[in-house]
Amino acid sequence: MSSDQDHLQQTDTEERFDFKKDSEAAYAAEKGLTEDTIHAISDDKDEPDWMRERRLRALKQFQAMPMPTDWPGQPDLSEVEIDEIVPYIRPDIDTRGGVEDWTDLPDDIKDTFDKLGIPEAEKNALSGVGAQYESEVVYQNMRERWEDKGVVFMNMDQAVQEHPELVKEHFMTDCVPPSDNKFAALHGAIWSGGSFVYVPEDVTVDMPVQAYFRMNSEGMGQFEHTLIIAEEGSEVHYIEGCSAPKYSAFNLHSGGVEVYVGENAHVQYSTVQNWSKNTYNLNTKRALVEQEGRMEWISGSMGSKATMLYPSTVLKGRGASDNHITIAFAGEGQDIDTGAKVYHNAPDTKSTIESKSISKDGGRTNYRGLVHIADGAENSSTAVECDALMFDNESTSDTMPYMEINESKVDVAHEATVGKIGDEDIFYLQTRGLDDDDAKQMIVSGFIEPITEELPIEYAVELNRLVELEMEGSLG
Amino acid sequence: MSATLKQGLSEEVVRDLSATRDEPEWLLERRLDALSALDDLDLPDVIQTPGRRWTNLTDLSFEQLVDPLNQSDETERVTAEGVEVLDFETALDEHEDLLREEFGATLDPQSNYLTALSAALFTTGTLIYVPEGVDAEDVKIRTEMRSDSLFSHTLVVTEESASVTILEAIGDEGPTADDEGRYFSNLVEVAAGKNSNVQFGSLQNLSEDAYCYTLKHGVAADDATVDWIEGNFGTQITRSDVETELDGEGSESQIVGAFFGHEDQHFDVNARVWHNAEHTTADLVTRGVLDDTARSVYEGVQDVGRDAWDTSSYQRENTLMLSDDSEADASPKLIIKNHDTEASHSATVGQVDQQDLFYMNSRGISPRQARNMLVEGFFVPVLEEIAVEEFRDDVQDLVHERLD
Repeated sequence: MSSDQDHLQQTDTEERFDFKKDSEAAYAAEKGLTEDTIHAISDDKDEPDWMRERRLRALKQFQAMPMPTDWPGQPDLSEVEIDEIVPYIRPDIDTRGGVEDWTDLPDDIKDTFDKLGIPEAEKNALSGVGAQYESEVVYQNMRERWEDKGVVFMNMDQAVQEHPELVKEHFMTDCVPPSDNKFAALHGAIWSGGSFVYVPEDVTVDMPVQAYFRMNSEGMGQFEHTLIIAEEGSEVHYIEGCSAPKYSAFNLHSGGVEVYVGENAHVQYSTVQNWSKNTYNLNTKRALVEQEGRMEWISGSMGSKATMLYPSTVLKGRGASDNHITIAFAGEGQDIDTGAKVYHNAPDTKSTIESKSISKDGGRTNYRGLVHIADGAENSSTAVECDALMFDNESTSDTMPYMEINESKVDVAHEATVGKIGDEDIFYLQTRGLDDDDAKQMIVSGFIEPITEELPIEYAVELNRLVELEMEGSLG
Repeated sequence: MSATLKQGLSEEVVRDLSATRDEPEWLLERRLDALSALDDLDLPDVIQTPGRRWTNLTDLSFEQLVDPLNQSDETERVTAEGVEVLDFETALDEHEDLLREEFGATLDPQSNYLTALSAALFTTGTLIYVPEGVDAEDVKIRTEMRSDSLFSHTLVVTEESASVTILEAIGDEGPTADDEGRYFSNLVEVAAGKNSNVQFGSLQNLSEDAYCYTLKHGVAADDATVDWIEGNFGTQITRSDVETELDGEGSESQIVGAFFGHEDQHFDVNARVWHNAEHTTADLVTRGVLDDTARSVYEGVQDVGRDAWDTSSYQRENTLMLSDDSEADASPKLIIKNHDTEASHSATVGQVDQQDLFYMNSRGISPRQARNMLVEGFFVPVLEEIAVEEFRDDVQDLVHERLD
């Protein structure tokens, strides 16, 4: 394992985030969003009518809903011009639904992923990789032993064709209906790509399933959809990583994630988001958890110009539980507005939310969270903890939790602290021979450790490298 | 917004009201300014979570209770040595210049629709003026409301190095005969001079068919302290905002809240502090109990400005639920723009601790009595902060009464 880390650490991080490829797209939708756009997308994907209908319905909802503007202290979305987004771009390769072997990929795409360290991660630790370049999954691989057990991990577009019944039942129905919010509606209309994961009853996928999403065309939005169905007693850990090259025009990312956690099942969803600093990251992620099921969200938000992301969990069945761990890092010009939502709709449900945020160079982080305990959800308990670290006086750190309690037999606790990096801690480390920058970096690494220890080693390394990169920018 | 009042709300009514009180021209002007601002102002913001607006002020018909020319109250004012505690008419006679300068200077009458309505129509109020260096305790204002609507405005001014503790108690003569209830609007502004010290305690125990809106706003100069104690027991719906701006270096504020709701009572309680200068300290402590179908909404805001170096800011909110049908919403917010800050907040919602109950039962205390003792104990951290002894006793009595 140590050799892999060495490889990743040697990667020149600046190079990893600053390159961009010439786009050779086979089909690029006209700018703007109309019913024609939807038909063009649907035709190109050769979709069944029911999916086309759902897209059209979502478009209507999108057009009818106003932009969210009245949240207290919300990021400025006035620069988001939907019509400027080219919603769907498919890379110019022959194979639809991905290629089987890494070596079959076009060189420039391979090069892109090589810089991100994807093949190494895939070869050594991950049971499957769905790498999304532009809007289509171009690379799919699933180790045979999982396939034998009935585990499905494929491109979402492919799943529409091959598993229509499962998709019909679960795609933007009970979990994230398009009516949920304006960007969920937009997503429902023009979603493309993403992953479909199905884990049958009592199967445990003991290596993480990974997908990597990137945007590589200017002015392009990415709207991938992830649907995870974990049947009774199953277990799976899904990892999503995002990073994009830096662009001058703005990008919009509006993904959708739906997770169905069956009775006694356990799903962990980990994501490290590093969109470029001009991306608006407006996602909707939600899990429905049945009796005794367990959902875990591990999220790192490093990139983007503005992020509004609140992974939510609905604890439907008795004894269901949820665990949120989030970290947000906002540097110059960034507004990371993130948090968690948990609905306790059944007795004996539990949730814990742990949020860490770092703001520097004028960046803003906000924890915005909601815990709702419904009437009748007896013996539910929730604990929310938010810690924020501020580097300088240009930055902002906000905390806006909401707790709605409609049941008396509960245990609800919220705690938050905000502070600056301790001068004493830095001084101590300096007396041990570390310079100022290294001392600060070490303190930050310690601060985010609760997150990194939940991630597989490759992701922990990547997260640490990203934090390092962010720190270098300011302290160098 | 437009109001549907019993007598209508017109310039004529306001002029009439001002004339019968023989007011100076500048005060009439201010009333008319507030009146004309009404159309452009909104009701105070209330907490909204997906699918729910926690306090629905727009649907309330309290405005129909407002009868500008028929306001009446019985107010007893107890002063302390060296302090001027004057009703508004006397204050106009004796300290017109002070009033003209300070009235509405700390609390903007056009903060929202309800404050402007109050500024246009107030008929009762008190000036508490504490001259330089005076150290006074136990100023008391006891108001009994006698009409369907009453608008009150209280102004506290402390000069350099002055100190005062104040108790304000609000009640009425019982539920209204027609069951329509009453509306009480209470604005309080505190201008705390350099190195001065104010504790303003307010105890609201109106009948349970009443509505109450109160905004208490203080500004602290260098090294000044503004402490608030806000007790809410009565009314069917109360909206209470208690706020301090720490404008002076080294200034401090403590905002202590206590409420006990039962039956169908609704409390919307807010505590806010702005740290605008260096070395400022704030401590927000609210404790509330809910029984039957009572509801509470709490918002606490600690806002640390860009220039507020070396800030300490703390907030705690605890809600105890005695009934399955009660509902609570809590939102403690931090807005931090200076990194040289130590800030924390916490909030809890829960019921009486089962282990504590069990222990007390095993000592021969009946479950009911044990619960009552635990509830009384729950309020102790709040009671300890109250400087006026009479106020402390009153709060204890009200809690005790409600538990029987």
